[in-house]
Amino acid sequence: MTRKITIDPVTRVEGHGRVTIHLDEYGQVKDSFFHIVEFRGFERFIQGHPYWEAPVLVQRLCGICPVSHHLAAAKAIDQIVGIDPKDLSATATKLRRLMHFGQLFQSHALHFFYLASPDLLFGVDAPAEKRNVIAVAAEHRELAIQGITMRKFGQEIIKAVAGKKIHGILAVPGGVHKTFSEAERDYFLDGKNIENIDTMIAWSQAMVAFMRDYHEKHHKFLDEFAAFPSGHLGMVGPDGAMEMYDGKLRAIDFEGKRTLDDISTDLYQDYFAEGVAQWSYMKFPYLKSLGRENGWNRVGPLARINVCDYIPTPLAEKARQDFIAFTGRKINNSTMFSHWARLIEVLHSAEVIKDLLHDPEIFGTDLVRKGERRSKGIGIIEAPRGTLTHHYEVDEKGMITKCNLIVSTTHNNDAMNTAVKWVANNVISRKGHITDGMLNQVEVAIRAYDPCLSCATQAMGKMPLKAELYNHKGELIDERFKA
Amino acid sequence: MSDLKHNKEQLLVIGIGNIGRGDDGLGWKMADIISEMELDKVSVEYRYQLQVEDAHLVSEFPIVVFVDASKEKLPGGFSWQPCKPGDHYFYSSHLQSPETVLYLAETLFSKKPEAYILAIEGENWDLGECLSEIGDKYFQKASAFFIPHIKNLQTNTQPIQMQSFAHT
Repeated sequence: MTRKITIDPVTRVEGHGRVTIHLDEYGQVKDSFFHIVEFRGFERFIQGHPYWEAPVLVQRLCGICPVSHHLAAAKAIDQIVGIDPKDLSATATKLRRLMHFGQLFQSHALHFFYLASPDLLFGVDAPAEKRNVIAVAAEHRELAIQGITMRKFGQEIIKAVAGKKIHGILAVPGGVHKTFSEAERDYFLDGKNIENIDTMIAWSQAMVAFMRDYHEKHHKFLDEFAAFPSGHLGMVGPDGAMEMYDGKLRAIDFEGKRTLDDISTDLYQDYFAEGVAQWSYMKFPYLKSLGRENGWNRVGPLARINVCDYIPTPLAEKARQDFIAFTGRKINNSTMFSHWARLIEVLHSAEVIKDLLHDPEIFGTDLVRKGERRSKGIGIIEAPRGTLTHHYEVDEKGMITKCNLIVSTTHNNDAMNTAVKWVANNVISRKGHITDGMLNQVEVAIRAYDPCLSCATQAMGKMPLKAELYNHKGELIDERFKA
Repeated sequence: MSDLKHNKEQLLVIGIGNIGRGDDGLGWKMADIISEMELDKVSVEYRYQLQVEDAHLVSEFPIVVFVDASKEKLPGGFSWQPCKPGDHYFYSSHLQSPETVLYLAETLFSKKPEAYILAIEGENWDLGECLSEIGDKYFQKASAFFIPHIKNLQTNTQPIQMQSFAHT
């Protein structure tokens, strides 16, 4: 009898996802899919709006990563007013970077403490009622306080530069609308009102050390769980440094061979295509040169660590070297190492924030530049979850006529599906029964990519929870709800 | 800079909701009105949803009022209820209940603020920034109850006594 298991939706991811696993008559996995079934429509309904509204409107894609959409759209709209990244004033660039790294810091902290840590601290087989942040707070009080404080710190950075923690506005076409004050800077340095940036760095280092130790203790599971070869995509600076705000696109295969050689972000359309599937609203981006089957790439922290030559802050670079030495491999294809890579980026973000807070150019008054109007703008940044593309075209009146978004999570679509297949084949296949722990392992594999399904599908509405099991005739024989 | 620091001695009002979704903006509208009063003793925050880290925020105040829209029918169009810590957990990382936030404040920061929920009945949750006729009517009623109490705080030199906020 063929059976189909459905996990709907996957919990502790941002948005609504659903997994179906098809078993044959012997209980062996025949196929599996990670479905995204929410409405997708932002690219369409932003058409007809004036270009300057885009950086504000696109923030409504998501309450978790509005800063990333704001900045990617802002970079694109800069080009429409004739300003390339090199033309932006130093103050505008540095304030945008401060906001961006505040977002990276708080988003990664959220993922580790709220979403991933329950699995790591209590185990993937722990009872469902333990696998949440409430249980972490009850049993690991200091860790939970650090998590909350770190997230708050990142959000306060965003609030300081943008006015609000969520959906604040910093960027305007060609620059930023406000500068930074010394009082605002001191708020993050003096430790009088919140823990200061040095504490954030120290805690970030401790988190990296915790994760390294965790890998030492759970070497086999973390090395093997949902490990598979794939391409990796990320942004790098001119000298190959990890770059989050503006740089060239680099992709490598599972062994490190270049498949995309530091191309300008403006040329992304020449190199990338997007596939679709009947069973998901989420697109499948891939490198044209390698085709739909082989051209997909992972994005996000693990991919960025893999593609860069170094991290341009000392403590994070030391952590990266340690990360590479741990496995003895330059290119890491193990899904669960994403958590470690993410924490290295937390440390990197804290170091960059400190550098920017000590940079006098953040107090500058040269905020907005103007150039010659263009009809097209492309903005690409490295969002917390990976490479994020915003592309707009406008008519002579400045109204948006075309919008294309390639959101980080869509790049990871194939990777998440492959991870689900791995779990299905290695954990569920031929077991004869399905436990809650097995289902959670499917979610653990997906959660490692920190997917934001709201962004990826531009979802609207509520997101219910459901799991279903089907036989080979397509008949529902079991179901689970998570709400 | 003042907006990054709170007056932590007295009362925090948190407006919860989304002004882009019709009556879901009721909480923010109340927060707007209180914010415009610029009272020394009252801090105001806006939230689309409550999040885990709001436990830290509420732990810094002796009294917290959550103002939110309600889909449920409420006698008289609004309700004023004490709010106690509770350890229910919602699966999402970005949506927690006031009770959970208070539970985390108590568990993590050993603080148990006196807390209340002002719920205002709404009717329309579609895209758009306007309140429905019903939502606006109940907002006026809730304001007539809540705002005078808040105004009195300005001149009252005694500590705020929220227990005296009687709504029947």
